Amino acid sequence: MNKSERLALYHLWVAFGLFVPAVLLGAWQMLARSPLPAPLQDHPSTYYASVTLHGTVMAYVLTTFFAMGFGYAVAATSLRRPIHGMTAAWVGFAICLTGTLMAAATIVAGRASVLYTFYPPLLASPWYYLGALLLIGGSMIWVVLMIINMAAWKRDNPGLPVPLAMFATTATAYLWAWAATGVLLELICILIPRAFGWTDLIDAALGRTLFSVTLHGIVYFWLMPAYIAFYTLVPEAAGGRLYSDTMGRLTFIMFLVFSIPVGIHHLLADPEHATGFKFVQSFLTFLVVLPTLVTVFSLSASLEIAGRHRGGRGLLGWIWALPWDRPMVLACGLSLIMLGLGGFGGIINMSYAMNSMIHNTSWVTAHFHLIFGGAVVIMYFAIAYEIWPRITGKPLCLVWLARWQLWLWFWGMMIATIPWHITGLIGQPRRVAAFDYSMPLYARMGPLVIISVIGGFFLLISALLLAVVLVRSQFGERSVPEPLRYALAVNPPRHVPPSLNGFALWNSILLVLMIAAYGYPIGQFFFMKDHNVPAIEATGQSIPTEDAR
Amino acid sequence: MTSEKEPSKSDNTWSRIGWASAIGLITVSAILGFVVLGGEEQNGRPLDPWAGICRGLGITWDTGPANSPQPPLRTLTQIAWTHDTLAQISNGDVGRGEFVAMNCIACHGEQGQSSSGLYPSLARMDAATIYKQLDDFRTGKRRWGAMNGIAQALSPQASADVAAYYASRDKGLIPSVPGHLGEFSAAEHLVFVGDPERGIPSCTACHGPDERKLGAPPLLGQQPAYIERQLAAFTQGMRQNDIDRQMSTVAAQLKPEEMRDLANFYSGDVQAQLAKQ
Repeated sequence: MNKSERLALYHLWVAFGLFVPAVLLGAWQMLARSPLPAPLQDHPSTYYASVTLHGTVMAYVLTTFFAMGFGYAVAATSLRRPIHGMTAAWVGFAICLTGTLMAAATIVAGRASVLYTFYPPLLASPWYYLGALLLIGGSMIWVVLMIINMAAWKRDNPGLPVPLAMFATTATAYLWAWAATGVLLELICILIPRAFGWTDLIDAALGRTLFSVTLHGIVYFWLMPAYIAFYTLVPEAAGGRLYSDTMGRLTFIMFLVFSIPVGIHHLLADPEHATGFKFVQSFLTFLVVLPTLVTVFSLSASLEIAGRHRGGRGLLGWIWALPWDRPMVLACGLSLIMLGLGGFGGIINMSYAMNSMIHNTSWVTAHFHLIFGGAVVIMYFAIAYEIWPRITGKPLCLVWLARWQLWLWFWGMMIATIPWHITGLIGQPRRVAAFDYSMPLYARMGPLVIISVIGGFFLLISALLLAVVLVRSQFGERSVPEPLRYALAVNPPRHVPPSLNGFALWNSILLVLMIAAYGYPIGQFFFMKDHNVPAIEATGQSIPTEDAR
Repeated sequence: MTSEKEPSKSDNTWSRIGWASAIGLITVSAILGFVVLGGEEQNGRPLDPWAGICRGLGITWDTGPANSPQPPLRTLTQIAWTHDTLAQISNGDVGRGEFVAMNCIACHGEQGQSSSGLYPSLARMDAATIYKQLDDFRTGKRRWGAMNGIAQALSPQASADVAAYYASRDKGLIPSVPGHLGEFSAAEHLVFVGDPERGIPSCTACHGPDERKLGAPPLLGQQPAYIERQLAAFTQGMRQNDIDRQMSTVAAQLKPEEMRDLANFYSGDVQAQLAKQ
């Protein structure tokens, strides 16, 4: 195992090591809010602490560590040279891990039950916010390293196109840098000063607005590894070629440009913004449909090439000819089904008018579980199965169990989220610890919620199988590792225009879009009077105020 | 493809496409959001474009007075639990209060222990509650018989003194229950649990026993007819001096027999009940 491989492996171990217990929490939460009896259901605060830990691990820890580990692996293998800045990378790893442990310990102590989205004026212990700050801030080292590594490669290979996998990884890094600005500013300027008692009131409206900058970008940050796999790993695993390298580049550029200036669609029911910018950002949100559709087209074409190459005939015969027994291909197929269903749900969420039907209902929770927990995370599994042998030098054990794991995850997510969507449409609110199922409104939901719990149980088993497969492979026999190979395009690019080989133009466009979309919504708070509110402490202990000191 | 031979020209194309689509999208969405849809009204004619743009930005375009007559602003009470108010109450002097209290004995009884259902017992009621009620009577926020005139004759300091005097009595209303009450009757269920389906919180959350909220009197040991009449007064809007309208809201949900049961529960001899179990 060389140095870059060890770096990637440690990141992935942290990601999956915390993922498995977080799934257990998720399954318990589904049970706790169902009509069925659940253990340890003594007080709603247990539920909220659990939701906070589940959300923090899934949204920040799993995704950030996975994206970083995968990014390092891609940088080393696609550029075919060691990573520049290994020391900085390990320092970043240590900072992120410290932050993770700080945040997790604070949540477990019951002093940060504010959910991972913070929701000011709720206020948690400062140690939770500092943990989040270290985790997110530490990942900026990874951002800088990805940008530096791509730039160094370009300098050493003038005129050559950056490999698509690295181009996409760097797009992910830029995307995360833009997205994280919001939450970092919220933590540093609003939450941490209040949590330490340096300020008296809390600017909840500005805090929520800043978080909205993060909240949609972060979703695409989670999604990007899956899309990188769709373009660079799936066609190879299926035995075919990538249909179009340019489509891939455009997709990642569009994700970078369109996923940030749109976050106010998470605040469509918030009073601190007027209708104009809500409409503008809702409108811009629809544009993320473009890269998604381009990807579905390009991926289908790539798979068709593979299927026909393997002897598939007729209009759809190539589908059956694909090697569905390979985890990467199987996961891709299952992921596309969930992406399709979840994507249509997402269009409802982002529509200014339709959003009001489902805002703050469990529809939204079901939606992001289907699209992130389902479509994206199943690709994380497939990526792990694909690169584990490459970074450990040991072949993947129990491939049949890995296939079971993917199928169980798919069915678990479908069984859990489809009834969950329906209860949301009936009107079940989200972020509620317990329901009185004897009330007429909730009595109708009882059976649906119980079906969801069954799905949650499937997911838990699947997560345990993932751990079994990865641990067994880790301790398996060493053999000669195959290098990680990326799909070759049908027409491999020999030269691409600088705009499709770098991000200067797209970052400038994004800057202008951000000023147009967020300049006024954020700027208004500097002219508005009396928008600070008292904090609501969710720490179980009082937090000092200016007066008390 | 020309791009392979003339990279700079092709790059200009991408740059133009990028900028043109970004600016085009922002312009189209802004026109739609601010001008076309900004002035839409659910009922009635759309606003003029300028008003629509202002509304889209969250700026009130119409700063003139509203056309429809507005009801006069009404405050339910002049008391807010500010630092100054609480300081005034804690400055109350028991000795001077005893002198002031000589005016109260005729109705509220010796040592503030009322023997009539018309008048509440005051002994061991907390000072903040008495002070607030006197202020409400003085400012006319609560109206009842002679109390308005009596309260007007008292200065805020005298109110604080008499409040301190009654709060310091050693017999009277009971702020906490020793031990446990056992099986709940319907009234006890309302007192200790409330009825969430009707939006009724437990009485104990504010009035005790055991838990107390500033400005809410302890009720255990109070005259039953007095409690029942106050609940009815809140229901009918004859009494409206609850700061956040919590009593009006709760009382409106109560049935007459529940009011009677609650009054009986609070007036009942709790010590005797405990002894019985």
